[in-house]
Amino acid sequence: MSELNTIPVVAEETERPSGGSGNLLARVFDELTAFARSRSMFMLHYCTGCGAIELPPAMTSRFDMERLGIQPMVTPRQADILLVTGYVSTKTMKRIILTYEQMNSPKYVIGICSCTVNGGMYWQSYATAKKLNDYLPVDMYIAGCMPRPEAVIHGLRELMANVKSGKANSWKDYYQRYDHYLANQQRAFGENWQTPTDVIAEARHYGLFGPETLGEHTALLEKHQVPLQPLEMRLGLNEEKAR
Amino acid sequence: MMEILLEITVMPLIAFVIGLFMVLMMRRIAAKIQRRVGPPLLQPLYDIIKLYGKQTQNSHGLLHDIGIVMAVGGYIAAETMVPVPGMNGIADKSGLLALAYVTMIPSLGLALGVGQCANPNGSIGIARALTAMLAYDVPFVLIIFGVAYAYGSNNLVDMIAAQQAGGIATWGAVKMPLLAIAGLFSLYAMLGKQPFEIYVAPAEIATGPMVEMGGKYLGGLFVMQCFQLFTATAIYVSIFLGGGENWLTFIVKLFAVVAIPMSLAFVFPRYRTEDVLAVVWRWPVLISLAGIWLVMH
Repeated sequence: MSELNTIPVVAEETERPSGGSGNLLARVFDELTAFARSRSMFMLHYCTGCGAIELPPAMTSRFDMERLGIQPMVTPRQADILLVTGYVSTKTMKRIILTYEQMNSPKYVIGICSCTVNGGMYWQSYATAKKLNDYLPVDMYIAGCMPRPEAVIHGLRELMANVKSGKANSWKDYYQRYDHYLANQQRAFGENWQTPTDVIAEARHYGLFGPETLGEHTALLEKHQVPLQPLEMRLGLNEEKAR
Repeated sequence: MMEILLEITVMPLIAFVIGLFMVLMMRRIAAKIQRRVGPPLLQPLYDIIKLYGKQTQNSHGLLHDIGIVMAVGGYIAAETMVPVPGMNGIADKSGLLALAYVTMIPSLGLALGVGQCANPNGSIGIARALTAMLAYDVPFVLIIFGVAYAYGSNNLVDMIAAQQAGGIATWGAVKMPLLAIAGLFSLYAMLGKQPFEIYVAPAEIATGPMVEMGGKYLGGLFVMQCFQLFTATAIYVSIFLGGGENWLTFIVKLFAVVAIPMSLAFVFPRYRTEDVLAVVWRWPVLISLAGIWLVMH
């Protein structure tokens, strides 16, 4: 398990007012929400590599994640945790970023296995993204090749403790330092890389704008950005043929 | 007047709390069948608080928002028509037919909302949900006809009064066993648990109607599920098991009824859509028709 402070997360504490001052009711409500958040986590597992095989025992009767309030969900919209279990190829990374950006905040990323920490045994591969936290803000790494279900559950419990105490804030980091993450994404995928989710607009809308949200890489993004178009509905292929 | 206002405020709240425990029981039963520990006592509540506490939301437009309001609101309206011990709400002014009508609103609201999400999985899911509704509503309407004929009234309050006056021997389940069996079958299909969970189908169409719902939208649907469990079982208990003499017997009956489909659910795989129609239109419909014949002779 890597230490949290070695993960370069610099999200600032924006909303938690220090104790003592502030509305008592609002503080109780915040505490309640933080507690509920830590006790109810819906998990989207993006199973890329061998670490996926350790998840079924962690979820089913032997280790039973549901007693901690963690249960698998099937779409990114419903999920809180994005679990990346194993090596991430460049092509897979695109899908992981698309998935991550569709999730509702607060959202947490967990990297399981050595491959997500530093590339693991794929260190020399040209097609593998080495460090997951270059591309996405990672809350927790669970190292090992592969980590046993005990280690997975231990990692999830640590994440729960972080969520409860309000330390798991790296999802804000993605908004506040979007330029940094986008730089790495553009380095891997080419400079006309874009996702359907407008992260900058979201940061602006939810007041999560940081000094490093915009930069030269977001300028590049805006240059190449093609506005999203609804898919064209085309019925009647025969009609076109007839013309 | 004030009394009715108070009752129609309190009744949905009670339904919600009981529904939360029904969801918990459902998940605990699943856990026990799979030899797990299962979720803690307040897990359904944590889930709902967490979902409403999400800090970013994805709305797909006005109808998406309204759809959820209709889904929850339809059931809140239904709760005011389901009598609970000591409170009738507006149940004495409405009948089972009105109730059957109101309980369709959530599915239709969901269809509206999901339509705007423009997700193909959602559209498939909602098509299946409406097909399933078509399936279980046919025996449901037949059962309403049968019990209304037997009790000489379409009103839940009258039915409960008639059953409680005569004791267990006059309970719907004793007098009309065939209709009660068909009702249980129809209730099972209505709850949409395995074999009948064609419209959720997590591994197949990614939870169907819920596929684009996150945050407070999914929270709304979780609340709706609590109401749905309560409404369906409370109607069944009122028609066939003599309603509730007091809160204790009422809650025992409710949980006993909801435990039957839940215990069966987690040992079954899933039907296909056409199989749901085939099964539900064959067995409960035939049984309820036989039940109606018995009631009339």
